[in-house]
Amino acid sequence: MGAALLLTGAAVTGLRGQAPTTFVVESPTMTTGRFMPRDYSPDGRNLSPPLTWSGLPAGTRQVAVISQDFGAGRPPPWVHWIIYNIPGDAGGLPEGIPFDPDHPMPAEIAGAVQGNNGWGLPAYRGPAPPLGSVHNYHFAVFALDEALDLPPGLDRGELLLAIEGHVIGQGDMVPLYERQPMNQFPR
Amino acid sequence: MTDSKGRLPAISRRDLLRTAGAAGAAALVPDAVTAATEETPSTAAAGERQLGTALPSETGPLLTRALANLTARETEILSAMVDRLIPSDELGPGALDAGVLRFIDRVLSESGTNAADAYRSGLAALDTYSRYTRGGPFIDLSTVDQDSVLIDVQIGAATGAGVGFVGGSGSFFNMVKSHTWQGMFGDPEYGGNVNFVGWDLLDYPGVRLGVSPEDQRALEADQLEPVRRSAYDYGIFE
Repeated sequence: MGAALLLTGAAVTGLRGQAPTTFVVESPTMTTGRFMPRDYSPDGRNLSPPLTWSGLPAGTRQVAVISQDFGAGRPPPWVHWIIYNIPGDAGGLPEGIPFDPDHPMPAEIAGAVQGNNGWGLPAYRGPAPPLGSVHNYHFAVFALDEALDLPPGLDRGELLLAIEGHVIGQGDMVPLYERQPMNQFPR
Repeated sequence: MTDSKGRLPAISRRDLLRTAGAAGAAALVPDAVTAATEETPSTAAAGERQLGTALPSETGPLLTRALANLTARETEILSAMVDRLIPSDELGPGALDAGVLRFIDRVLSESGTNAADAYRSGLAALDTYSRYTRGGPFIDLSTVDQDSVLIDVQIGAATGAGVGFVGGSGSFFNMVKSHTWQGMFGDPEYGGNVNFVGWDLLDYPGVRLGVSPEDQRALEADQLEPVRRSAYDYGIFE
């Protein structure tokens, strides 16, 4: 569980052109290859899920996270969440990051900001795949060698461009989701 | 200061409306809409009211009556929704203060049954979606959860929950949002923008038949006194 998988599909170049080292990404509530709780989707409270990471390379100054679905989007991936400027010593993200930019970030990730997802919103919005289909949701975590102080609201392409050359480590986890409409899964 | 659910003080206006609904909104509504009940909104009563008929411009009473075209329950849900779209805050009065509910009621009176049906089905779906996903009726959710629900409705993510949105949750959201914007910032003649609060929010200098050089200089110096008249107060627009 939590095996570091290079599944981001992101053409990210590591420091000095080297391939980034891999590290472990886990979650207290999600597991790679298994269905995530509905509270991380619009079938539930649509909270951002908690993540933890360990084994980041020495010299990690900052962390960035992209949640994306390579089975959706024109072109793929459909981006569900982008968050960056995360302190390098944070160790993870708590559940339920505020979607309102006026609400402060949790103290342990003070300074973090959110980028624009596929809906153009600087917030987490969880999986809503077509009924009857199972999708994979890639949480890609990047360890950066520099505190970049990036502005909020970057989209995926802008973030990947901004961190290019600064990625010294990368980890992933890939839970699944399938929608459960109300008449099939009453609360 | 917020309450235990993190609500801002402005929420007290919604609490007032909720109290009215729980106690039976008919006790608090004017004669023209007393026929409005949970089961049978009084479209007939709405039809009797003439556009331009003076209604109380005080913001308080506007919030305590069921709309003519919606039930008391539907009015509560709609009130909570428009209150989140343009809340009253440090910038000024919000959509409820501007009489957006009255504006929407007039729109529904003039638009026929299809529009009212769209509102009824959408509001019911919104409430069902709130109960299904957040564990309670929309009006009882914290403002954070209300905003989260509305984001999901706006982006269409609520559609697949099977809660009854007709034609997509985003269509319902956009309809209410459009009417809210129109009621907030449109000419007061149409029933909203009470006391010109919407125009004040935008710093709109008002409808003028002419702008003198002095007016232009005052505008550029941010010292132009706004004209607070409806366009229909000018004979040229009659």
